[in-house]
Amino acid sequence: MKVVREALAGTLESNDLLVRVSPGRGEGYELVISSEVKHQFGPQIEATAKEVLARLAVSGGTVVIEDKGALDCTIRARLEAAAMRACAVEAADIDWSKLK
Amino acid sequence: MTDDELSCETIFPARQPLERGEIGRFLVQSDLDYEPGVEVFVVFRREGTLVACAGLEKNIVKCVAISEELRGESIGLKLLTEIVGLAQDRGYSHLFLYTKPDNVPFFRGCGFYPLVEVPGRVAFMENTPVGLPSYCTRLRGEAKSGGKIGAIVMNANPFTLGHLYLIERAAAECDWLHVFVVAEEASLFSYRDRFAMVSEGTARVARMTLHHGSSYMVSRATFSSYFFKEKGIVGDCCTAVDLLVFRNWIAPALGVTHRFVGTEPFCPTTRKYNADMHHWLAEAASPAAPVETVEIPRLTYGETPISASEVRRLLAEKDFAAIAHLVPPTTLDFLQTRWCAPAMTAA
Repeated sequence: MKVVREALAGTLESNDLLVRVSPGRGEGYELVISSEVKHQFGPQIEATAKEVLARLAVSGGTVVIEDKGALDCTIRARLEAAAMRACAVEAADIDWSKLK
Repeated sequence: MTDDELSCETIFPARQPLERGEIGRFLVQSDLDYEPGVEVFVVFRREGTLVACAGLEKNIVKCVAISEELRGESIGLKLLTEIVGLAQDRGYSHLFLYTKPDNVPFFRGCGFYPLVEVPGRVAFMENTPVGLPSYCTRLRGEAKSGGKIGAIVMNANPFTLGHLYLIERAAAECDWLHVFVVAEEASLFSYRDRFAMVSEGTARVARMTLHHGSSYMVSRATFSSYFFKEKGIVGDCCTAVDLLVFRNWIAPALGVTHRFVGTEPFCPTTRKYNADMHHWLAEAASPAAPVETVEIPRLTYGETPISASEVRRLLAEKDFAAIAHLVPPTTLDFLQTRWCAPAMTAA
């Protein structure tokens, strides 16, 4: 799934996160995580994000996460939404089986 | 305080004079000026009373204010979420803002990252952690070795013999010269055309790299008053931010030691920018090494210094005989065949 445009999902409010996906150079993706709870949960947030991006096979993009202490389920939902918007996936074409 | 007491709305000041006045009065309470360039505002109200606002001028966030009694609550994050979403809807994802240094921690919590600060005056931030740092990483790949590395930032609107002379003089003095073309689309000639003119006109200059410009040098974001000369006096901080971004980020990435500039006989904005260069690139306190400013006297034709504005004036009169004395053959060819010809056939 190739990133073709810039997209946002989420908010900056407490217990949420803002995900910004933008077109980047080359294959794969660049992931940058900024979190208020990074010292405690940084590796867990990163693992969750990588799992979602790998499952959706996101490539050619930069993914920036501004986390405000969101739960894993929220992180997954926001990432999926931002990635599919950035990859211009139409609602009718969503492969629901890939979304857990 | 519960959220449902707050309502959010979007205000277009050009169409909503009553609300515009209300925002103006609200900003005064926060010691902020109403910025006439703001195209759209997000405001929050509680029981009808304005309690927070933020504005957008293209990709620059301005006029962010929160009423004193609501500070410390989470309204700031809501406000910034709204303005970031509104900017996205309007086609701007990469945002910048200017704020007082005291407010940096607040905006840092809203996903903005500090780029440079003029101590006690103003801080300049962008809404991505991979903006300017990534740009500089890419520039680092273009760095050349040598003891004297020069840089020139030019608009080239259009590219004249004066620009070529400045480049040739600078290149002769340096081990390598990096030339940037201002990328902002705010000139008579498009960025694509200006870049092409510089590229063709400098094809034979040795030891020189021509770079694409970016939002980080002489852009609407770093130096808005350059593009809006008529809109008031250029403040000190205005040139400071642009020059500090150059000194603290761009110059170290490329190893730039000298910045070259033509003397400015006509335009007061550019003249002030040149004068400020000496200060902000070298004298001012900064974590980065100083960059020496070298002013090279303008090339003249007859008695008159060659300027792009004069070429634009002659172009309006289609006086190509006079233009031929002021621009290189490559620019003249561009102006005659690619600039004027299509307009004539269309007419």
